[in-house]
Formats: sequence, C-alpha cells, structure tokens
Amino acid sequence: MPVRHALLALLAQQPRYGYELHAAFEALVGGQQNWDLKPAQVYTTLLRLTEAGLVRLSESGEGAETDKRLFEITPEGQKELQNWLHSETALEPQRDAFYLKLMLALSIGEEVRPIVRVQRTALYRRLHQLTTQRQEADPRRELAKILLMDKAVMHLEADLRWLDMIEARLDEVCQQPLPQPELRRRGRPARGS
Amino acid sequence: MTTIVRVQGLSRIYGEGDTAVTALDRVNLEVGGGEFLAVMGPSGCGKSTLLHLIGGLDHPSAGEIEIEGKKLSQLDDAHLTELRRRRMGFVFQFFNLLPVLTAVENAALPLLLDGVKPRQANEKAAQWLEQLGLIERSGHYPHQLSGGQQQRVAIARAMVTEPALLLADEPTGNLDSRASDEIAGLLRKAASDWGRTVIMVTHDPRIAAFADRIVFLKDGRVVDEARLSANGHEEAQMVKDRMEAL
Repeated sequence: MPVRHALLALLAQQPRYGYELHAAFEALVGGQQNWDLKPAQVYTTLLRLTEAGLVRLSESGEGAETDKRLFEITPEGQKELQNWLHSETALEPQRDAFYLKLMLALSIGEEVRPIVRVQRTALYRRLHQLTTQRQEADPRRELAKILLMDKAVMHLEADLRWLDMIEARLDEVCQQPLPQPELRRRGRPARGS
Repeated sequence: MTTIVRVQGLSRIYGEGDTAVTALDRVNLEVGGGEFLAVMGPSGCGKSTLLHLIGGLDHPSAGEIEIEGKKLSQLDDAHLTELRRRRMGFVFQFFNLLPVLTAVENAALPLLLDGVKPRQANEKAAQWLEQLGLIERSGHYPHQLSGGQQQRVAIARAMVTEPALLLADEPTGNLDSRASDEIAGLLRKAASDWGRTVIMVTHDPRIAAFADRIVFLKDGRVVDEARLSANGHEEAQMVKDRMEAL
C-alpha cells in the first residue's frame, strides 16, 4: 500500500502532524488531480500504523486532539519502510477505459474512426498542456515535478502511437470475432466429448 | 484573427497518365496570424509537398495559395522571390548553414542577399542570435556548434528578415530529445511572443504538441484536425462572454 509507506517515509524525514503529512504527500505527487488523498484517509492510516507499532505519538506534541497530535516513526516502522523501499513495485493492471469503449463500439456496429479521433484530440490537448507546464518548470528547483511530467508525457506518446496502430488495423479487427466468454455447460460433460 | 495563409483546393500530381502520383489532393487550409500549426501524417502523406507549395518552392497542379492576401499564382518569378525572401522564413531538418560562414554571418545572409549593408545586416543578425540565446557563439563556425545550436542559427537566419510566416520541415528530425524540445519551444515563442505564423511539418507527437493546432494528412488529404489551445479569436470571445456574464 503506497499511501501507508509514503506516510512512513514522510515521518522518517521528521515527526509531523496529520495535516502536515497530507500537505507533504500532495506536494510530492503534484497535486490532488494526480492522487486524491483525503485527509480522513491520512488519519485512519496513521491510526492503523500506530496500532501496528510502526508509528507512535511524539511526546513533543501539543495535545490529544486529532490535529494537534505529532507522529513519529518507530524502529519497527523504519524496518518496514526499508522492506518496502527494496521490494519490487506492483505494476499497473491492463485496465483501459478507451479499449473497453472501442471494443464495445465495435461489438454494436458503431463507426469507430470518429471515436478514435475524439480520443486522439484529447490526448494531444493533454500533451499540449503538459508540454507548456514542462517548459515553465525550473529544472534547478523542480526536477521531481519534471520527472513526473516526463512520465506522463511518455505515456501519452505511447497512447498516441497505440491509437495510430489501432487505426491502421481497424479493418482487420472488424473482421475478427471479439473476445467471448467461455461458457461452460453445467453438470457432467456429455458422453463422447 | 487575420488569415496569413489560405490554401484552396490545392492538388499536386507528379508525373502523367498511368504513372501519375497524387501527392496532394484538394486540400483546404487557413492559418491565422500568430498561429502555430503542426502538419502530421505518415511518410508520403504529402506534408512536405504542402509545405513546399506554401513556400513557393514548388508549383501546384490545381488550386490556389494566398499569403497575406497575395495569390502566388498571380506573381511573376521576381515578385515570388521577393515575397519568399521578405515575408517567409525557412527552417529545415539539416540546418543548411554555410560551413565557411560564422553563426552571425549565416544569420545575416538573407539580409545581404536583399541588399542590406553588411554592418546593418550583422547587427540585426546579432540581435536575433541574442533573442535565441546564442550571442556568445556568434563567431563560431557551424562545425563548432551542436545540432541544437546550429538549428538556432537557422531560426535566427529565418527570423532576420522579420517574416510573417515561418515554415519548418521536420526541424527536430536530426536532434536529440532535449534539443528538440528547445527548438520546438523557440518555434512556439516565434508564434506566441513574436506574433509570427508558424507551420511545422513533423512526425513526432511530442513536438507537434507544442502547436496550437494539428492537421493530419493521409494520402494527400486532410483526414483530421485537432485544436490544442484556444486561438486568439476564441480567447477574445471567451473574455467577452465572461465580461457580459458579470
């Protein structure tokens, strides 16, 4: 769970209050449009981390109220953080909303070229925005932000190449059956099969 | 937005009879002042042909091109050359700098060819090298410059006559990704900051994304178009709408 470990790492830097952790996380991921972490999730995660003994209340905190509690990482927390840092990161699954739309459009006989065009324009618009932001970012201060934007740019480039490929192979795809579920008959297999 | 380039029913057919190849097939296009347009498409789609026709480097088989309201077909060779030299700037993939001239001399060349005195021409060229962040390299010869720097000299050379229209044919095709971004950023600046109309042919999506608009060519025809940013007219309209809503 990246949020859990992100909080551990932010506490490894220095003891922090809950709202501080939320702000630090948001700054790191480049804003809530990239990763919408609710403040409530920060507090529930802190609670779970505390119960697991990975985080504890710092004695220099101001009080017992939720927003006045200062949290710090424990030695167990440090160990857990190290394990996380040096283990492989899970890859994203092949879940693609556009792929789904395209295949469903094909399956009901909709003309798909206009659908591809709308998506291409959307991808180019996003790429244009990112390019502008990327140009405005200062490489001497904002390298972390630039690295994240570079990743987004490269993904958009890949998506655009993919759309070109889809368009080039559209006639072929239309002539093939769409993936169908394998329907298994219930009960015993028929004799002789 | 004033129209700088108007293309109507433009076709270009190479060869005759059975061997005729249609490079461009009845293309219509308008490009406004200060607009940055990218032309994309697979190789052989006609994008370079389109650029060459707009630049008056080739003659159409049919159709008309107007630059700043002047029909190219109605200009004689002398006037066409003058229009090309004074109102258009060209940037190519392979920079095309003269190896025996320094950066500033290369940039000043179009003015010298136009009869401007060398001292004035060099001053003007130096100003553009400064704008493009290359003034400290003005005495260097092309072989002493990186690809990105050579392309910046080529942009200075294209800008030195203060053209209305900048035509760039795969300007980043011979550059690494960092230099490519720099050059595309400068073309972006030529449109947004210096008010020039820029038409750029590219096959690179990342470079095309710097533009305000992309037209996609295939088999000599415009098959799609994408506006990436609101143009001046739309922005003005949006401001007006907002003011009225208050």
